[in-house]
Amino acid sequence: MDDFTYHAPATVAEALALRAEGGGAARYLAGGSDLLLAMQRAEPPVARVIDLKGIAALREIRVAADGGVALGAAVTMAAIERHAHLLAHYPALVAAAAAVGGPPIRNRATVGGNVCNASPAADTSPVLLALGARAVIAGGGGERELPLAELWSGPGRLTLLDGELLTAVRLPALPPRTGCGFQRLTRAAMDIALVSAAAVCTLDRGDRITAAACALGAVAPTVLAVAGLGAALAGSRADAGTLARVEHLAAAAARPIDDHRASAAYRREMAGVMARRAMAEACDRARATSGGAA
Amino acid sequence: MKIPLRVTVNGVPREDLVEARTSLLTYLREQCDLTGAKRACEEGECGCCSVLLDGTQVTACLVFAIEAQGRHVTTVEGLSEPQLLNALQQAFAENGASQCGFCIPGMLMSATTLLERNGSPSEAEIRRAISGNLCRCTGYDRIVAAIGAAAAQRRNAKG
Repeated sequence: MDDFTYHAPATVAEALALRAEGGGAARYLAGGSDLLLAMQRAEPPVARVIDLKGIAALREIRVAADGGVALGAAVTMAAIERHAHLLAHYPALVAAAAAVGGPPIRNRATVGGNVCNASPAADTSPVLLALGARAVIAGGGGERELPLAELWSGPGRLTLLDGELLTAVRLPALPPRTGCGFQRLTRAAMDIALVSAAAVCTLDRGDRITAAACALGAVAPTVLAVAGLGAALAGSRADAGTLARVEHLAAAAARPIDDHRASAAYRREMAGVMARRAMAEACDRARATSGGAA
Repeated sequence: MKIPLRVTVNGVPREDLVEARTSLLTYLREQCDLTGAKRACEEGECGCCSVLLDGTQVTACLVFAIEAQGRHVTTVEGLSEPQLLNALQQAFAENGASQCGFCIPGMLMSATTLLERNGSPSEAEIRRAISGNLCRCTGYDRIVAAIGAAAAQRRNAKG
């Protein structure tokens, strides 16, 4: 007899209780575009799914007074693609969401699922990491927050405690004259990224870089922030020489592997190229902002 | 464990018992006898099982049937009256867009979704709209032409 059960809680508290009761054989379900595949080979078998889509708060995109944004974990890629505030202020995130799968997948796939599946090639993760996003986590002991970088411990692995639930991803407000970029290398639609890169930079009135960050996808066991990049670029002009340093730093930070999609050497070189292009895009957007709130 | 499912499929309210792990695709094909949505990759890659769930296009292989509780599902069979073609389907026929035909139900759901929100899609927009649909005959050009022709015809009918 099949004792598999499906639950659709209306609140986070109910979801946590259902997960605690179900133990390790229970899984949270958001869009299902990863989980339903994983279920086919899960060991132990998944005996209970807890569908988060009925929890209204998890489907919300909340824009704070300062322009920062909280993305509910069950917000879909399609919802990100058509959100006016995100289009205006976080266009790199919109581009990353628009790169996920095809239209029917983007109608289902969620930001929480993309982050928690912990694929190093997840499309939205480099952008979220470069933007300095934080994970909002609910658990038996209440709510806690941590930097997104501390959420991933390896491919498909999270640092979450058993039963904890990512409820939202919080994007900080962007300072004036800040831009973001996203670049992704792949062959065609529906392919996962061979390499991706996201960049964020803030310019002063004289077009010198005051803050910068870059994150890479598909070149390490987790999505990876390029360490030391902000300090290396601070005070520099956003010119070709600076972009060449971004390329060098990103290629040096990459720790890629050979697989059937690309060789490690190719991935390393392309990590540099994608990072340079993403930073160029970020700088262009930073210059184009009026200087008001991002 | 079987669960009662109330769902409206192609405008017809239904009540069935489904296993919790049954996919929407399996439910439609095996319990509703609607075989237009095709079973192929079962990974959400090919788009052949596309249906509309409350008007939103989804790949039915990656949706639990029980998620359709209280909702409306439209399959390719619901796009037109039996034995008749709607204008989009007619455009597919006239443009030779259907070769083996396996991907066509999914292509039609993508095209239907596109044309509902964009009456004058560019070729790039059409190609992006069907980017989640694989055609194993590689007959994309005629499919793109058919969708463009259907859009033009619809504009002319309104004009």
